Amino acid sequence: MIIKFKDRKTKETDMRINIIEKEVMDPLGESEVNKIELSLILQKPDKIVYLDNTKPNTDIILDTIKESLNIDSIDVQKPAGASATEEQIQEAKKGDVVILALGDCGSCTTWVILDATRLEKEGKPTICICTHKFTDYAHSLAKAQGAEDLRIIEIEHPIAGLKEDEVEEKTEKILPEVKKMLNIHS
Amino acid sequence: MKKRDKDVCGCSIEDLLNENIEKGETKLCEVSKNDIELYVEPDAEKVSYEFYKKKHTDGLPIIPPTEGRVRKFIEFSGLNKDDLVAVLPPRFGRATIQKIAVNSVMAGCISQFMPVIQHSIKAISHEKFNLPGVNATTHPVSICTILNGPIGAEIGINSGTGCLGPGYMANATIGRAIRLCLINIAGAVTGIGDHASMGSPSKYSFCFGEAENENPWDPLHTERGFKVDDSTVTMIALDSPHNVNDHRSKTAEDLIDTIIHTASVAGCNNSHVPGEILVIMSPEHAKTISGDGWSREDVKEYFHENALVPVELGDRGGRKLDKKWIKNGNVSITRKPEDVVLVVAGGPGRHTMICHGFGTSSESVTELLKLKDGTAAQSVDDFKNK
Repeated sequence: MIIKFKDRKTKETDMRINIIEKEVMDPLGESEVNKIELSLILQKPDKIVYLDNTKPNTDIILDTIKESLNIDSIDVQKPAGASATEEQIQEAKKGDVVILALGDCGSCTTWVILDATRLEKEGKPTICICTHKFTDYAHSLAKAQGAEDLRIIEIEHPIAGLKEDEVEEKTEKILPEVKKMLNIHS
Repeated sequence: MKKRDKDVCGCSIEDLLNENIEKGETKLCEVSKNDIELYVEPDAEKVSYEFYKKKHTDGLPIIPPTEGRVRKFIEFSGLNKDDLVAVLPPRFGRATIQKIAVNSVMAGCISQFMPVIQHSIKAISHEKFNLPGVNATTHPVSICTILNGPIGAEIGINSGTGCLGPGYMANATIGRAIRLCLINIAGAVTGIGDHASMGSPSKYSFCFGEAENENPWDPLHTERGFKVDDSTVTMIALDSPHNVNDHRSKTAEDLIDTIIHTASVAGCNNSHVPGEILVIMSPEHAKTISGDGWSREDVKEYFHENALVPVELGDRGGRKLDKKWIKNGNVSITRKPEDVVLVVAGGPGRHTMICHGFGTSSESVTELLKLKDGTAAQSVDDFKNK
């Protein structure tokens, strides 16, 4: 902006005025990320722990996988919207691999991923099962936890409210991926 | 004219007027591109829209967080700008004093609210609050801030008529500041880190004070081990409030039965994962109940024993109902009498509000407003002065 300026002696000159909007500050908090090295699944496991958060029909998903794999297993139940207890984590660590299910809502997905990352930190390989409506969130949460490559299998949403055969059908579709992650090639 | 650095204009107004014009120059200052730089407040409408497009807001307009505004809030924190209050999930964002201040400015707070907000953020980061679950859930749980003690009154928190809104700056903006911190620091952005199926009006702001002068019993924070003249924030994860209209009951038992009947429903989290429930009792209801000789503990005990949901209705929630909660075919919606969080607030009228909790998965946290040296604050001014 330029304004004409005239002094007492009637000389005229330009006054250049720059009008600047004050800057605004960034409201976003910096993320605190500590990388987690994932435990590898190098061979077909001898024992699998099925960590069930008791969301509706999760038992059917896990039973379907269990029947298909026919590998020695331990069943452990955990809360859906909160962390597994210390006792449940210790029980889960008795297997070679832990399969966690089910992330089909916000809080249960959160705690499937957070419990899985905790197990990974403690050296136990995990596989998480989340419905496709929540896998984007599951991956972003895993990344925020420093576990970008956390093994997350996507099953078709919804699972709750379905009949048994419908859940089995959706589970059949993810079995090849489960087997691949577990190094089962037959 | 004085000698100047290459890029720094040292012109005073007198220099400009007396020297350059005398020389007949057409430009007042030789060094600077401009003669005068005027800093103006940003266009609030434009900044609001830009922040909105970046998903930094709750959808409402914001106050632009300029450095000057933010500085005033930092000065009222009693801490340094980079001091870390908490790390907030699911994005695990660092809630430094400065970031809390930025979001509080945006919310329309005044700087005197800063101590309440920073202590609220600290409280919700407590493990037992389960912020990862509360933020991300499909359930419409919101986070309520209850103020006790003298600082609430000092900053103008409403504990009387309309305490749940609208009309009071502290109630409206402190809750909003916490929500903006959740969005921008914790990453609880709708559809990204906050998956509430429908959300809730309570997520805009949910903050009030207990009406301690109208309370026939001891206030909430004393029940939790604090002194009556301590100032505290109690953070609790809740459903939106549900009204209990009872104008006719004349006895404590009848009145509490109405409250219990309103609270004992299927479909809430308490019915399948029992936990805390907030009862915001109007002074008139509290007077009727205490007038019959009932203590706060009597109310909580009676509520716990009688707030029941038939098991076939209770077991329809997200997690399978644990058998340990079943008694004679019913689920008690609270685990123990202490789960009934009872406060007195509101104005004239025979209404009480009940708010179901998030269930077993979240416990409320009460935080003392204390200074850096650990002593209890008597006034918000203590934070600025020390």
